[in-house]
Amino acid sequence: MDERTFARLVEEYAGRLYAVAFRMLGHRADAEDAVQRALLKCFAARDAYSPRWAVSTWLYRVLTNVCIDELRRRRVRGDVDSLDAAPAKASHVRAVATRPTPVGTGVDLTRALNTVPREARMLLALHYVDGLGYGELARIRGISINTVKSQLRRGKAILKKALEAGGHDGSD
Amino acid sequence: MDRTDARLREMFAVAPPSRLAERVRAALREPAPTLEGLADRFHFEATELGVSRLAYGRGRDVAAGRGRRHVEQARAELVEYLAGRRTFFTVPVDLAGVAEFQDRVLAEARRIPFGEVASYAALARRVGHPKAARAVGNALGANPVPVLVPCHRVIRGDGTWGHYAFGPALKTRLLALERATPVLVGSTSTRIVCRRGCTHEQRIGEDRRVVFASVTDAADVGYRPCEVCRPRDDAA
Repeated sequence: MDERTFARLVEEYAGRLYAVAFRMLGHRADAEDAVQRALLKCFAARDAYSPRWAVSTWLYRVLTNVCIDELRRRRVRGDVDSLDAAPAKASHVRAVATRPTPVGTGVDLTRALNTVPREARMLLALHYVDGLGYGELARIRGISINTVKSQLRRGKAILKKALEAGGHDGSD
Repeated sequence: MDRTDARLREMFAVAPPSRLAERVRAALREPAPTLEGLADRFHFEATELGVSRLAYGRGRDVAAGRGRRHVEQARAELVEYLAGRRTFFTVPVDLAGVAEFQDRVLAEARRIPFGEVASYAALARRVGHPKAARAVGNALGANPVPVLVPCHRVIRGDGTWGHYAFGPALKTRLLALERATPVLVGSTSTRIVCRRGCTHEQRIGEDRRVVFASVTDAADVGYRPCEVCRPRDDAA
């Protein structure tokens, strides 16, 4: 894949990747950072891209890898801060849990998504942002279609409950 | 698609920030510098038991007999670490000449997992001397094998770096490297999850890699932990 083709991919997919990353991470700056890092990784590994894959599968695989690792670090950062009497204030060790929730529309959804376990949350994001089907979700995460279905079912139930508890009925 | 699905699709939509693609294209033109080129600037001393000293800058390796094998292994693992392909070291270290308190501090520092940080005060508490943060700093400052014993993961309580034997710039770069390196990698063909750097993990093809946030998450979607590198959530 040459540089010009890749530049066109960036143009076409950056917005969609951003929406998935935002629903996974719940934070605009982190979502943009994840998209940048994912596309840089794809660009560096573009020669390893195999055309037997849909290009979207490849991009989403790399993006979800970056986002999942970001979520792992947040868990870690929370632990570090709770261990320390004087929490570190540097940006790389800030506690995500203490971040103010963004104001405006979507606050309820962001809060509700925070209650969904990581793997299910990621599948929900891919499924509802970009309408990806079970087969493509299974290929992106390297899991079985049955696992995709059960994770989505579980994630959706948790999300619905959280939205209802927050006064927002997801089914209206 | 039922009504809930339609409603959720509507709710999940989000507008990307303006000129996002433009910023990504600009970043592609300026790739971040890597650390791999620094590997040649590290030098090792080793005994029969393991690596006893790691130095940065001018110098040469010092080892004899089995020590030479330790040096070879340490260098290979360090190259992988600096390239973001390894998150743990298996080469033995020999801390024979180290005093008892420092030995305990270094042992605690080794327990800080890859990509995480702890404060000097936290380490002082963990070695049972909560008021000895400064002594902990001195013990770490005299760490004979930096990087292998990750004293760079210890920072001040206010989030600033504190002293680092190889300079604050390298400490920043090591912590940034660890931040950008995933720890748990699964293979989509074997459905096994490894620690990054495991011999099995290194054989996973580019197109078969999936990253996990925890061993529990991986198990939830059908991945089992590798029996060679034995990833665990408390040390992931």
